[in-house]
Amino acid sequence: MSDVRIGVFICHCGKNIAGVINVPEVTEYAKTLPNVVYAEHNLFTCSADGLSSITRKIGEYKLSRVIVAACTPRTHEPLFRTACEAAGLNKYLFEFVNIRDQCSWVHMQEPEKATGKAKDLVRMGIAKARLLEPLEDVEIGVTPACLVIGGGVAGMSAALNLANQGFEIYLVERDKELGGLLLNLNRLFTSDSKAEEVIVPLTEKVKNHQNIKVHTSTEVKGVAGFIGNFDVTLDQKGEEKKIKVGTIIVATGAEVLKPVDQYGYGDKSNVITQLELEERLNNGVGDEQNIVMINCVGARIPERQYCSRICCMVAIKNAVLIKENDPRAKVWVLHRDLMTYGTEFEKYYQKAMEKGVRFIRYSLDKLPEIVGNNKVKAVKVYHQLMGKEIVLPCDMLVLTTPLIPHEDNQDISRMLRVSLGEHGFFLEAHLKLQPVEFATDSIYVCGCARWPASVPETISQAYAASAKAAIPLRRGYIRSEGITASVDEDKCSGCGICVLLCPYNAIESQSKDGKKLAHITTAQCKGCGTCGAACPSGAISMNHFRDEEILAQVEALVI
Amino acid sequence: MKKSGFEPKILAFCCNWCSYAGADLAGTSRIQYAPNVRVIRVMCSGRIDPTFILRAFQVGVDGVLILGCHPGDCHYIDGNYKTARRIHMLKKMLSQLGIEDDRLRLDWVSAAEGKRFASIINDMTERIRALGPFVR
Amino acid sequence: MAKLKLACYWAASCGGCDVAILDLNERILQVADLADIVFWPIAVDFKHHDVEAMPDKSIDFCLFNGAVRNSEQEEIARLLRDKSKIMVAFGSCAHLGGIPGLANFGNRTQIFERLYLEAQSNDNLDKTIPQTSSKVSEGELELPEFYDTVKALNQVVEVDYYVPGCPPPVPIISKVIDAIASQKLPPKGSVFASDKSLCDECPRTKGEKRIKKLYRPHEIIPNPEQCLLEQGILCMGPATRGGCGALCIKANMPCRGCFGPLPSVSDQGAKMLSALASIYDIDIKDEVAMAQMVEEVVDIAGSFYRFCLPTALINRRRM
Repeated sequence: MSDVRIGVFICHCGKNIAGVINVPEVTEYAKTLPNVVYAEHNLFTCSADGLSSITRKIGEYKLSRVIVAACTPRTHEPLFRTACEAAGLNKYLFEFVNIRDQCSWVHMQEPEKATGKAKDLVRMGIAKARLLEPLEDVEIGVTPACLVIGGGVAGMSAALNLANQGFEIYLVERDKELGGLLLNLNRLFTSDSKAEEVIVPLTEKVKNHQNIKVHTSTEVKGVAGFIGNFDVTLDQKGEEKKIKVGTIIVATGAEVLKPVDQYGYGDKSNVITQLELEERLNNGVGDEQNIVMINCVGARIPERQYCSRICCMVAIKNAVLIKENDPRAKVWVLHRDLMTYGTEFEKYYQKAMEKGVRFIRYSLDKLPEIVGNNKVKAVKVYHQLMGKEIVLPCDMLVLTTPLIPHEDNQDISRMLRVSLGEHGFFLEAHLKLQPVEFATDSIYVCGCARWPASVPETISQAYAASAKAAIPLRRGYIRSEGITASVDEDKCSGCGICVLLCPYNAIESQSKDGKKLAHITTAQCKGCGTCGAACPSGAISMNHFRDEEILAQVEALVI
Repeated sequence: MKKSGFEPKILAFCCNWCSYAGADLAGTSRIQYAPNVRVIRVMCSGRIDPTFILRAFQVGVDGVLILGCHPGDCHYIDGNYKTARRIHMLKKMLSQLGIEDDRLRLDWVSAAEGKRFASIINDMTERIRALGPFVR
Repeated sequence: MAKLKLACYWAASCGGCDVAILDLNERILQVADLADIVFWPIAVDFKHHDVEAMPDKSIDFCLFNGAVRNSEQEEIARLLRDKSKIMVAFGSCAHLGGIPGLANFGNRTQIFERLYLEAQSNDNLDKTIPQTSSKVSEGELELPEFYDTVKALNQVVEVDYYVPGCPPPVPIISKVIDAIASQKLPPKGSVFASDKSLCDECPRTKGEKRIKKLYRPHEIIPNPEQCLLEQGILCMGPATRGGCGALCIKANMPCRGCFGPLPSVSDQGAKMLSALASIYDIDIKDEVAMAQMVEEVVDIAGSFYRFCLPTALINRRRM
């Protein structure tokens, strides 16, 4: 161990780290630690300069281990590992210390303590790095097929994009028809084109494509196997079917909130949601003369704080359609801010105002009130600009409600081992850097399953997700990290405690010379460490997270 | 007894997929919390060998926090189930060794729970502060 | 070849290790041929001052059994270490702390109170408690200081070899004698046992390691062919060094862990706990089942640290 040569690179991250932590002080401290032969600090270690500095210094100082103290390994570990490999250093001889997301950003008022914590963390990282060993990645073959869950505009766009590249696709839809939410829509903003002009040709292409096997009235019942090699069980009205796929795209969409017991919905006969209005408008605009729309019903409230992005445009679009049909009809849109971002949406909003749609701002502390018994006859609203309550006559009350996640998102999340965000939509790996992937390899997400999105946004995401899904399909393999378990046969007594603990059935008890020994199939091992923690002989070693490496970090905490 | 001036040293084992991501989210959300915790990243809470926890106390760590995925959501299917059973049994053993229950805590934090991560850290820090330093 | 000089000593022990040496039966004569016993309180009459008079490193081998829990034992341990070329921790108590090590769940105050004041069979109306120094009619009586914490031998002096077991089985003692006689000793620090756990030599069949309930040995009649742990009987075998010939298993009793942890393991109790809790097939959301799991082990720390508490990572109860 005395010949280990450690290089430490500490990042300012502009002001993100350096604004709180005394980076030069931490760098000087690192130099005092055993085996550290070089330490520097950089403005942005992930910049081209920073990365090439790492590569150069490895050669110059003959570094055999590298530490970067910066943001978080979850985004940048691969980048720095590549910089190490460029210098011929095995990428597993690199250790990342998180001093931004888990230090400078969260202790902004306590710079001294944050600096002290950064020193501790660097010391702990160095303690582990001293013991790291080189490892090799494992290549896992990928089943050359993709499962798309959801047959709406997202799922179908993704499926077609992949099928056109020659890949085999299974498209699973739980309803009996393909099309999703678009089947219920009338026209799409801002083109005002009919929804069926988008969805019908798309559906035809999908049905007729030789590479796409469509399964309607079908749900995904179970997913076994591991990344790149999923064994999926489908359920079509009680009949099971098993398929094998290499990648999965989640395109299950969302549903529109039904605002039960709000503003008379479900009780009074003339209160409907925007979705229900779309269905009506499909059959022709009615002859109601006084239409009141209330936006943000069930959204941007304490119980559901998010904004559903698309509903303002939906409301404005429907308001414009009604006005275009009958300019004498009165349409009021009661809102709490209008989400009409970008030039197209803003223009559309202007058009609505020019057509005579009236926009009234209300606030959460003075909600509109409905008047009427079996039907809503009028809506009282406190007009913020006028500073007084006004009464609007009303023939039809339309409630603009948000898109909410499907309840069975939980089931899919569990089956696929992917995360849900705080509002129940699917959580992407990284909002900016990995927007259509899950943290789990070979599974992707697009459309409203991830976050309420307009049709053009949904289609873009579908193309993105399918492009990502094509990579392992085309390559034929996924490179899995060398973070796996290994058994020392000189220590293994064959007790068998590990065998049933493995969630991937990667361990079996094998007989060798009359004795039992545990045998781990490396390609199936995902490196969770459960077997290593349980082995009472200490015979199982978890590569890159060995007992000695973790214990070194523990001991370094208190010096 | 007032233990002013004592800054607890708390070790937190966080799993890569859920709690470590939740901790990062607290950072991106700029949620501020007590600076007493040092995180060791593991792939799964199932990696946690009770040996690590005992070693931590032996070297003088004041509190140990194990944070994993919520039951049912483990990235490796059920690693956290083994963790739950191990820690449950370990807590009983620690009580036999005279180590206060609050010094070891097992909790679940998802990748979307930045706020929850921060509040667990703050709560743990205060509890350990009230208990005082671990007697080696 | 000149006869070797052999010393044996018993510290905090039950005497079983000395009896085990005698269990060599006829082989004891070979020992007599091989070595002069220069100190063995239970068997021969040499005194402490005889040892003090010896030159340093003049004793070839010292077989020291028993844990160190008072000042006299510590003093003699140091003395014998100075006077001996090779110091052997003989038996579980010297190796790991042994059964006396369980006193580390308490302290001197608690032990003395129980022993000299509370015990139901006492006749101690004066409430006399031993003191390190007390006046008696003959003069000043000095007694060794009784420590709060029991220690294994290597926590007091440097130990060269370990002979595990409670007591060490005769075949292992034989091996030690052979090694001494032939002068073919293993590397310093070696333990005279297998480097694999007891499961390696256990004659029972191994199936699926998954249990729903633990039984105490008297609660069920176990199948004599099948692994005891699989039948729900707590057997420390998986976390314990082998080399004893699985004597207890063959007598239908589970292993209790006297040979101590495996070489790569720093805490036998922690590993056994981890393994056992891992294979306990209960729903973690079922609070009743979880509470029951803990109750079924009966005495978790005592069971898992029965022989090795003084050498565990947390080696005593915090009072």
